[in-house]
Amino acid sequence: MKSFEMYHPLVLFYYFMTVIGMAMFFMHPIYLVLTFMEAVLLNFLLLRHGFWKKLMMYIPLFFIMAIINPLISHNGELVILYVNDNAVTMEAICYGMAMALMILAVIIWFNSYNGVMTSDKFLYLFGKLSPVLALTISITMRLVPRFKHQIHIITQAQKTIGMDYTSGSVWERIKCVTRILSILITWALENAIETADSMKARGYGLPERSTFSLFVFEKRDGWLLGVITLLAGISVAGSFLGYTTFYFYPTFSEMEWSLTSVGFYSVYAVLLAIPIVIEIKENIKWRYLRSTI
Amino acid sequence: MQKSDNKRLRLIISTLVIFVIIPIVLYAGVVYLNDRKYYFISVVIVLLACVPLFIKFERRKPQPREILIIAVMAAISVAGRMIFVVVPGFKPVAAITIITGIYLGAEAGFLTGALSAIVSNIFFGQGPWTPFQMFMWGMIGFLAGVLGKTGVMEKKVALILFGVFAGGLFSFGMDVWGVISFSGIFSWEAYVAALGTALPFTIIYAVSNVIFLLLLAKPIGEKLKRIKIKYNILQ
Amino acid sequence: MALLKIDNLNFYYPEEIDSALKNINLTIEEGEFVVLIGQSGCGKSTLLKHLKRELAPHGKKSGDILYRNERLEDLDMKTAAAEVGYVLQNPENQIVTDKVWHELAFGLENLGLDTLTIRRRVAEMANFFGIQSWFRQKTVGLSGGQKQLLNLAAVMAMQPKLLLLDEPTSQLDPIAAMEFITTLHKLNQELGLTIILIEHRLEEVLPLADKVVLMDHSEIIYTGHPKQLLTDIPKNHAMHDALPTAMRIFNACDQEGDAPLTIREGRKWLLQQPVEQNCVSVDENYVELGLVVLEAKDIAFRYEKNSDDILHGFQMHVRAGEMLSIIGGNGTGKSTALKILSGLEKPYRGNVFVNGQKLKKYRNSDLYREQLAVLPQDPKTLFVEKQVRKELESMQKVAMKASAEKLAEIISLLDLQHLMDRHPYDLSGGEQQKLALAKLLLLNPKILLLDEPTKGIDAHAKKALAHILHALLKQGVAIVMVTHDIEFSAEYSSRCALFFDGNLVSEGDPRTFYSGNSFYTTAAHRLSRGIFKNAITCEDVITLCKKATTNVSV
Repeated sequence: MKSFEMYHPLVLFYYFMTVIGMAMFFMHPIYLVLTFMEAVLLNFLLLRHGFWKKLMMYIPLFFIMAIINPLISHNGELVILYVNDNAVTMEAICYGMAMALMILAVIIWFNSYNGVMTSDKFLYLFGKLSPVLALTISITMRLVPRFKHQIHIITQAQKTIGMDYTSGSVWERIKCVTRILSILITWALENAIETADSMKARGYGLPERSTFSLFVFEKRDGWLLGVITLLAGISVAGSFLGYTTFYFYPTFSEMEWSLTSVGFYSVYAVLLAIPIVIEIKENIKWRYLRSTI
Repeated sequence: MQKSDNKRLRLIISTLVIFVIIPIVLYAGVVYLNDRKYYFISVVIVLLACVPLFIKFERRKPQPREILIIAVMAAISVAGRMIFVVVPGFKPVAAITIITGIYLGAEAGFLTGALSAIVSNIFFGQGPWTPFQMFMWGMIGFLAGVLGKTGVMEKKVALILFGVFAGGLFSFGMDVWGVISFSGIFSWEAYVAALGTALPFTIIYAVSNVIFLLLLAKPIGEKLKRIKIKYNILQ
Repeated sequence: MALLKIDNLNFYYPEEIDSALKNINLTIEEGEFVVLIGQSGCGKSTLLKHLKRELAPHGKKSGDILYRNERLEDLDMKTAAAEVGYVLQNPENQIVTDKVWHELAFGLENLGLDTLTIRRRVAEMANFFGIQSWFRQKTVGLSGGQKQLLNLAAVMAMQPKLLLLDEPTSQLDPIAAMEFITTLHKLNQELGLTIILIEHRLEEVLPLADKVVLMDHSEIIYTGHPKQLLTDIPKNHAMHDALPTAMRIFNACDQEGDAPLTIREGRKWLLQQPVEQNCVSVDENYVELGLVVLEAKDIAFRYEKNSDDILHGFQMHVRAGEMLSIIGGNGTGKSTALKILSGLEKPYRGNVFVNGQKLKKYRNSDLYREQLAVLPQDPKTLFVEKQVRKELESMQKVAMKASAEKLAEIISLLDLQHLMDRHPYDLSGGEQQKLALAKLLLLNPKILLLDEPTKGIDAHAKKALAHILHALLKQGVAIVMVTHDIEFSAEYSSRCALFFDGNLVSEGDPRTFYSGNSFYTTAAHRLSRGIFKNAITCEDVITLCKKATTNVSV
């Protein structure tokens, strides 16, 4: 997914927030299926080998949610059976499944988001809003792996004086863990002062700080931003006009197949397919370039 | 003057977001959204609650040493969360946030909690739970800071009670409210089911908070005090 | 016009009676390479910090510091931040952000430069320092040498006129340190950059200096060219131990005039002495050795199943009362070998024997009490308490058998009395190491493993450490030391071994070992090679020199 990821962070963030935002609210079966299918497809393109393993993790979640709803919600007209005088209805089962599908789709979309929006892109955007906080996050990001390494070193050093958190009773282990954390904190705080000095020495705190990044907003980013806004706008308009609404209770509402509704479905499908389309287009272009060389 | 233009633009945008966009979004949410409106509204409110504290920190132009100390505390809780996975849910994050709040004040406590959530989600992956986590840990740190000012938290009993309270608060916010509002299924049975499944976690949160607080509060507190005095910060 | 002029500077830390800086007068000209030396605690870091306004310590100050005839305090904020660059000791601590490119840009962002300017400067720096290939990487994964180079580049991006460095190479291995010093030399020669450097590696640095400033007890006692340093300081000043080999030998032989600084100059001088070549050698003295207490047989180890072996067919043994030094390049697996010997990592083939019994048969509590102790590279990993006294007392509790007499004995052996009420983190590097060692000695180990014990400590502390180690050897303790420090291992160990490609390739007593190597050997040996037969330490060369000259005169 190199070509989609290369777009400006603003465009990427805007895209994912728009899509995830809509995915959370459209409970219409057609929309749900579209959201889910394209989430899976995109995630597969992003992760390839890791994908099936991840999907396996989600399958039990899907079933649990699909089962829980009919057990606690007894609305609906199509009763299948009674459990302890409570009705288990077709509507409740479908609603549970729809809900599970929606949650699953959102989680998978987030998964793709996490793959595309790496920390530097997120920090770049966040830095535009809140530079100090973004810098603080960036420093924290740098410290975490460093502390992990230091915890490892401390753990080994402590082991050689008889403090081992991997063996002994639970209480002893906990005591070792707190001892390691305590050593780490002293070390970290004293070192942090030197980092602060290094920031000061390089002029941190001068008025009118600027922010630098390697990201450049190109023309194509503008275009894509426009396209996303247009397609999302149409979809939201469709939602206001009621095309995305679907009732499960008291019983299912009618599925619409009019020209307008199919039009809205397609717009939504195209919106979700943007990353995939860009990827394929770019692939074809490369192949063409290589064959003409 | 490109710089001051930038600043003015930022101010305009943030005012716009706070006073125009958020209310509109909220209104739209209440009117047009059905099942998801509770999740939606609570996310907006949760984010909204964090904004003033973030803005205050931003405006104050904190010294490098203050920034570093907050980053250190947040990074320690994240690194601790990654490494000591003895039992699921048995994490030092809340305890470290609380201790930071007690000894360095409400703002530092809030920031440590909120940053721990953001950063640990950058490592583990963002999801619909990010805003809640940020808010919950942030608030736990904030409350600890407010109580810390009164001197109550020097007592062991107060520490234990607060540890239990923080565990319950976190569990309620994340497991109960988070799940229910997201799924949009509201009924007494749903509450009971959610509370029931969340209970073991609530207990683990509370117990781990209490244990870590009792063991860590004094040593970390002393270290923070030493740093405050030696380097003259956050006084 | 001098670039920097310090005029009668005096400074007291808050609530301290003794001054930290006393009557400091110093003039630095544009383009000079100045080396600031002195024993730890003499005030050289305090002085250097005063030259960087943002880092000037709090306290009572009198006198003036003039930068281009303007008082440092009156400089415009941006000028002060940009024109005086500062690089600190620890490469890790100075890195602020998580990406290399961002780190390079950090100072420029602070100055409020626009994107285009920053882009150009960052590109320039990346090219000059050879950073292009890791430009987009995370800072976490860089080596120590790369990190320190990045710190230097990030400071240089701000285009300073004056560069201050406080022991920038103390945490680096010899090769990375040399590379860093070469870069400094290049900056000085090619850009005319003014440099003030505090450094322990005088062997490499002093020949590059235009001016050396020697501090002692908060005062400057010498300013001038390094060649004349010897004539102006007292004959038995403690600083002599830290000077380059050639200078030390020259001094000990009571010579007058310009001192040789490099090995080449030293050889040239030595060849002019009335010495008959290759005739004299140092007498050997044999020591009675104890039983083998630690032995590794045919060890093979790797971290991951599919990675390469780090140790392969690794063999070694050490006897009671013997000190074995394992030397070798960086990243070859020396430290891993130490982890295997201490039971922290398990080999997939072969065994380690402690007192004739397999190491894996020991319970942790038995192994690490009364048997084996490891001094970690960073002594701070052992500190928990807020006072040296408490640190030792808590350890005394852990080591059930340690009596009060034992504690008192250790305290006096390690000379810790005057530090008992201090916070462990307020101690100097050498003192911290002694404290860590004291904690370990309370466990009464028979085998002591040391990981890079001389890293980052000065000549004086090294000598103190050697004194302690020798006292332990006399008590029958066996010591294994992993080190980069050729000089230290040559002077103090009983046996040296070269680690290469997963095992020990050659070993022997220091004299045979180092006189057999031609590159990987001590400065004294390189200086006297072909002139004296088997001299490997400064002392050797001095003794032989004196012997030879008396022979000739008789």
